[in-house]
Amino acid sequence: MIYVIYVFIGISLFFAFAGVVGLLRMPDAFCRMQSSTNISTLGVLGVIIGGILYSAIFLHNAEMAIKLAVMGIFYIVTSPISGHAIAKGAYRHGVKMSRKTVCDQYGEDMEK
Amino acid sequence: MKKATVPAIVSTALVCFIFWLLITGQVASLLRGEPSAQVLIAGVIVSLAAALFSARFFIHEKPFFFANPARLGKLIAYCFCIFPIELIKANVDVARRALSPSLPVNPGIVKVPVEVKGEYAQAMLADSITLTPGTITMETVEEDGQDYYYIHWIDVASQDGAEAGEAIKGTLEKWVRRIWE
Repeated sequence: MIYVIYVFIGISLFFAFAGVVGLLRMPDAFCRMQSSTNISTLGVLGVIIGGILYSAIFLHNAEMAIKLAVMGIFYIVTSPISGHAIAKGAYRHGVKMSRKTVCDQYGEDMEK
Repeated sequence: MKKATVPAIVSTALVCFIFWLLITGQVASLLRGEPSAQVLIAGVIVSLAAALFSARFFIHEKPFFFANPARLGKLIAYCFCIFPIELIKANVDVARRALSPSLPVNPGIVKVPVEVKGEYAQAMLADSITLTPGTITMETVEEDGQDYYYIHWIDVASQDGAEAGEAIKGTLEKWVRRIWE
């Protein structure tokens, strides 16, 4: 059973690593945010599921497992709202998009 | 802003009370059969007080919409089965882009028509889209009765609204509409 927990935490570490690499390599602020969503979804969920299994099976601590689950729920509910607010705020503040950008229908419609 | 009705306050208080039980660790005590009356009574008072002030922000439509088992079943199926599959697919895709040496990104903002109605359903769909890596909802607008999202997409496969919408939110939208119909 401990190996199942290792697998969950390993998956989580892999996606957190990919997210950080993306954060450093992506061309502009918006693409960086896309990559950081990697960390905040599977990166966090893998660790939380691993933690729930470990505290329920090896520590026999139901309170800890339930609290971890509540943490996961709140994380998943709040993270998209902040992501949306940061992306919109960055765009409205005039953060430049990279030269690779193929279309910007939001900017076109705002100029009308 | 509308005033809160009694059913709205009761349903908000119920949700608050469930979270009180989870956070104070009472669920584990209840399972063992030794709940603490003091904590439970305090929970009822605190959640009613919180609901009195916050119900008008949370409940704008039917307060007991999810009391229907079929609807609740669909919501649970979406949260634990349909959405995680989409989430894992999108995660693998973005991780592959970030780690590949040539960095194959093709970013852009597209305008997509949305078929779901109602503010809860639209918020749920927009949050689902933002939570999947590779797409971020930037704004929602309404033009002539048709709602649109502006979505930043890391790999613009099509600039046409309907095609892009199908690629970004095909399965998600079908399920969200089924839950909130």
